[in-house]
Amino acid sequence: MSDQPIIRRRVVKHGISDARANNAKTQSQYQPYKDAAWGFINHWYPALFSEELAEDQVEGMMICGVPLVLRRVNGKVYCLKDQCLHRGVRLSEKPMCFNKSTISCWYHGFTFDLETGDLVTIIANPDDKLVGTTGITSYPVQEVNGMIFVFVREDDFPLDDVPPLANDLPFRFPENSERFPHPLWPASPSVLDENAMIRGMHRTGYGNWRIACENGFDNAHILVHKDNAIVHAMDWVLPLGILPNGDDCISVIEDENGPKGLMQWLFTDKWQPVLENQTLGLKVEGLNGRFYRTSVVLPGVLMVENWPEEHVVQYEWYVPITDDTHEYWEILVRVCNTEDERKKFQYRYDYMYKPLCLHGFNDCDLYAREAMQNFYSDGTGWDEEQLVATDVSPITWRKMASRWNRGIAKPGRGVAGALKNTSLIFKDTADGHRPGYKVRQISEE
Amino acid sequence: MNEQLHQITLNFADGVTHQFSVAAGSNILDAAIAAEMPVLYQCRSGGCSSCICNLTQGEAVTQAGASASLLGSEFDAGQRLLCVSQANSDCTFDMAYGSEVGSTAAREVHAFIDSVERIGSNVMKLTVELAEGEWLEFRPGQFMQIVVPGLGVLRSYSPSSTQVNLPKMEFLIRLLPGGAMSTFLENEAGTDHVLTLSGPYGAFFLRDEHKRVPHIFVAGGTGLAPILSMIDTLRQSSGRKPPMLLSFGCAVPEALFSQEDIELRQQWLPSLEARICVDREATEGLHLGSPVSALREGDVSNPDTVAYLCGPQPMIDAATQRLIELGVKAQNIFAEQFVASH
Repeated sequence: MSDQPIIRRRVVKHGISDARANNAKTQSQYQPYKDAAWGFINHWYPALFSEELAEDQVEGMMICGVPLVLRRVNGKVYCLKDQCLHRGVRLSEKPMCFNKSTISCWYHGFTFDLETGDLVTIIANPDDKLVGTTGITSYPVQEVNGMIFVFVREDDFPLDDVPPLANDLPFRFPENSERFPHPLWPASPSVLDENAMIRGMHRTGYGNWRIACENGFDNAHILVHKDNAIVHAMDWVLPLGILPNGDDCISVIEDENGPKGLMQWLFTDKWQPVLENQTLGLKVEGLNGRFYRTSVVLPGVLMVENWPEEHVVQYEWYVPITDDTHEYWEILVRVCNTEDERKKFQYRYDYMYKPLCLHGFNDCDLYAREAMQNFYSDGTGWDEEQLVATDVSPITWRKMASRWNRGIAKPGRGVAGALKNTSLIFKDTADGHRPGYKVRQISEE
Repeated sequence: MNEQLHQITLNFADGVTHQFSVAAGSNILDAAIAAEMPVLYQCRSGGCSSCICNLTQGEAVTQAGASASLLGSEFDAGQRLLCVSQANSDCTFDMAYGSEVGSTAAREVHAFIDSVERIGSNVMKLTVELAEGEWLEFRPGQFMQIVVPGLGVLRSYSPSSTQVNLPKMEFLIRLLPGGAMSTFLENEAGTDHVLTLSGPYGAFFLRDEHKRVPHIFVAGGTGLAPILSMIDTLRQSSGRKPPMLLSFGCAVPEALFSQEDIELRQQWLPSLEARICVDREATEGLHLGSPVSALREGDVSNPDTVAYLCGPQPMIDAATQRLIELGVKAQNIFAEQFVASH
């Protein structure tokens, strides 16, 4: 070793200006968030809509770099790690199930118990000494009102420590109506409410999940919606932006047994809507007040109360797939107690909410987030960004998330997207397949 | 009789068992190293206690002419230092650490100084970066030996950083008047200066098998360094974070350091409580007295609580006694004394 020259590693130096809202000290406070490129693990995430998984159907997807396979048997949904312990093949790529309690790897026949993940047999090698001694990780599943949620855990996260789903869902009403009064709109429904009807969609976003997540409750971002059709068709007053009036504009919620997140006191005197910019001669001309309120809870769930209409609430998830893709979920929830109410909500969803809101309005968010991705994708954006007063919302979120997350997902290993330049990515792209969320199953044709 | 072989069985904390043979009258540690057993050791002369273990079967005694730093009561309780012991029969030892721990072999590496910064009235923070192509692995709490440039003498320091921070490493170094390393840091050390380090050494490290139970850390002065490394490792590890109590003290408020680092960790870790102590001149928010005196009834509610102590020997002795009184089991208390070297 003494003959070897001693060489300095390549040094990259960053100066951080103290004039920024995110000076060096603030940045260090949310360092764990900066480390969470692959998401927060040990949390509940939506995996599929119930209608996407029929009886006996098998689907694969990836969340936080963890490959997952879902199978529905006798109505119940099971979830295992979608990576055979033998040589890493995804079980979901060519589903093979010989009974109601197992799933087999289609390549060499390693067969796993759906409930526990235990290796129960190997099809052509049933006496191998490995059988019964090992297995793949299983994941708790909860299905509610048409959505399938999975608790994406680290392999050694104890099942006894798994918190209730409600701890990873937004604040509920009316039980929080006193704490977070909403004089301008009725109590917002929840995914967990009885007779909650959920309509929505999910699609892959091409960028880091944090960029997407911060967009939803960033009060300066609404500028991207200035020219949206629904805003003008409905003559809404959508401000150019909203400025904080003081330190109490956001409440951080850290209840011991409940969701951890933040509530923004929008449309109170704690925030000042900006309706005019004289320098540029810009003025919001709408007539109809459009009151709403955004809040966000771990692991990155947005709630927009009173949106797009009274009695309806919009929820969004930005479920990390890899460090540069996420599954963007938008759902609208309304409590519908009668068949008639269900029909009306469905009609409204099909002909107004879906085309004008989830697409017309939120498509802008999708391209706006993609426009930010390059700046952040090599990590430098997190150091170089220069945040200002309106960014109090993302900064508060980053600090809160740094403190209360249940674990920082490790970069994916042995999975699609861990490397960005493999021949399979080029082949799939050339064949017309974007990088995505669900596993494309092998067809025999 | 000299050629008679005894069978030695080592039971590691992770349930793994290893066996090897040793000739009667021969040194057990030498035979263990020859047989490539994953055992920890450092001084090989009965002083540092790195190779301490517990005899559960058979007869093993200290070799003639060797001196072990064990108390009579510890010897009677079965504790042995392998580096000064010989076997008089087949023997079984319980090792307090897992079988993968000792497989982290010490090695020599080079590192460039990034910064040298005075952070307290008598403490320097030394930040270095391993040279291109060089690497090492260490457990939080273990220490490195650094060659003092020019003098060639060795000084031992625990990184306050973790494995995750590599190739960067950070050390907290107490300044001693006229001390070799102190003189170097105060007068000569500068950015891009190359240091030679070897390690890791020592059996004082965070025990993975206890990571889910409440932790108590007691640190005096720069004994805080290995403790910070442990706290950060717990923060970065998987699953629910255990409750942690840090009691850290210095003589006077001006001597305190790393306060911001501790506050930051409290912000990141809702389960971390910190008590900052000074022996004299306490100002608001500081506990007057030693970090041991800051421990109180009610701090140990779980009988499996584990404690890590690092500081001067009198502090360790007092903390051990106090923690046992509060209900911590003796075998769950891990300590490292630091010795001032000029």
